[in-house]
Amino acid sequence: MNRFVPDELVVERGSESSSVFNNLRSTLPQVPVKIVEEVHFAATDGRTVDQFGTAKRRLFLTRHKGEFFKKCPGSDGQVCCNYFVINFASNCPMDCSYCYLQEYLSDNASLKVFSNIGDLIDEADRTLRKHRGHFFRIGTGEITDSLALEPYTGIVRELIPYFAEQPNVLLELKTKSDCVDTLLDLDPKGRIVVAWSMNPQPVIERDEHGTASFAERLTAARRCQQAGYRLGFHFDPMIEYSGWENDYESMIEEIFASLDWRKFSWLSLGVLRETPGLKRVIRQRFPRTRLLAGEQVHCPDGKLRYFQPQRIQMYRKMVQWIRQFAPTVQIYLCMESKEVWQQVFGFAPACEKELGNQLAPLA
Amino acid sequence: MERWFSWAPPDREALATLVLSLKIGENHLREMMDWLEEIALRDGKSIQDILADRPIYDASTDPRLGRADRLKRVKEQLRRRRYPRLAQTEDQIRTQISALKLHPEIHLSVVPGLEGGQLKVEFQSGSMAELRAVVAKLSEVVSLRPTAAIFELLSGEIGQAQI
Repeated sequence: MNRFVPDELVVERGSESSSVFNNLRSTLPQVPVKIVEEVHFAATDGRTVDQFGTAKRRLFLTRHKGEFFKKCPGSDGQVCCNYFVINFASNCPMDCSYCYLQEYLSDNASLKVFSNIGDLIDEADRTLRKHRGHFFRIGTGEITDSLALEPYTGIVRELIPYFAEQPNVLLELKTKSDCVDTLLDLDPKGRIVVAWSMNPQPVIERDEHGTASFAERLTAARRCQQAGYRLGFHFDPMIEYSGWENDYESMIEEIFASLDWRKFSWLSLGVLRETPGLKRVIRQRFPRTRLLAGEQVHCPDGKLRYFQPQRIQMYRKMVQWIRQFAPTVQIYLCMESKEVWQQVFGFAPACEKELGNQLAPLA
Repeated sequence: MERWFSWAPPDREALATLVLSLKIGENHLREMMDWLEEIALRDGKSIQDILADRPIYDASTDPRLGRADRLKRVKEQLRRRRYPRLAQTEDQIRTQISALKLHPEIHLSVVPGLEGGQLKVEFQSGSMAELRAVVAKLSEVVSLRPTAAIFELLSGEIGQAQI
């Protein structure tokens, strides 16, 4: 994986006293730093064609002024897994063709990390203490990659000791990177899941630009498992193309041959999906991608997905390949309807709490 | 226009000819341009060649049809080309519905795109006697093989339904 190096580090006054700033300075000494009184996230000059891509080149360090802790919004009418998110950064140094952030962050695409990690922990602590009877599954990879910037920021290394001590939480670090070095000497105490978004190498090469290769992700997963972390895998987005079955089946075989699945927390499946707006952005930014050549139709939540019989068939095949190795591993569908759940698994969770509860005890 | 200008001149001309002859409106045109670009990328063919393919060309020039019907046929042919497996599944479902030889008062259908996996059943009657007859006929339909095949097609057993 090629290591990301920003062109410039823009630091909001006050953030230069943070541990994140110190980490950035010591790990990126060659990157010029600009201290500003107030950050302005107009990342481009208006003449740049690829504003979203350009925005990834400057790294902003600023205080986060809103709430860190949020409920995952899910997707209208789809089965939800009752997940919570903590955002310690926004945008991602990688550049997957299908990334929903291209549309979601279109008004503010700046790549930024937040310096007030103490506030994040305080806010999480208040929530977790107030609801001790509730088991939280929290992820940090909703609007950024959980680990891609970790070699420079050290934020996750600050978070793990706190979350590892909490009795009612499972913190998921979702990534397409292999940046796990700073995690390996910490004790996750069964509370931290490191999860990889996985696709076969041909998909990675075509559409997951700047990410770790399949082999690098697998090696990183093996190192995390050896260090005591629970693992998760998200086969999402699954891409349909000529020969996809061979590539995905081989990928599953390699994962299960390399790792102890009994220490997996969960696996999820989801097919490629995008809003019409995101489709326009993909077409503009990646005109040669074959992602959009699939047979996608409009779904009730406004997103485009492969037509239902086709994606049911894809999910069934994946479940069958996984079950050959791991008959009892927890598998769930991400952003799918009850009808599809029913066809794939023979049941559908009655509500989001039911699915959340099924996944929570796996801590 | 900007998008159209980005095409190769022969592709631009082929589409312009079609647009002028069928007076295609903006929304239809946007959708057709999406499909044409996606087919071209997937199949490695030029847009000019796609539009010259026999089913599309025939639909666009059929002298027996009015302009609106020709546009409808062209779009249907383009959709079939863009979504071949979806169209095949929809065709198979239609074949199974025909095989049921339904009472004229009973109508079975699925939504375009097949999202939701539901078979829509409609029937009507003008009297109790008619209603009894329709319900009895519907009851027979439930146990027929084509009905099961429809649900197998809707649930992802594409091309594998034992028809």
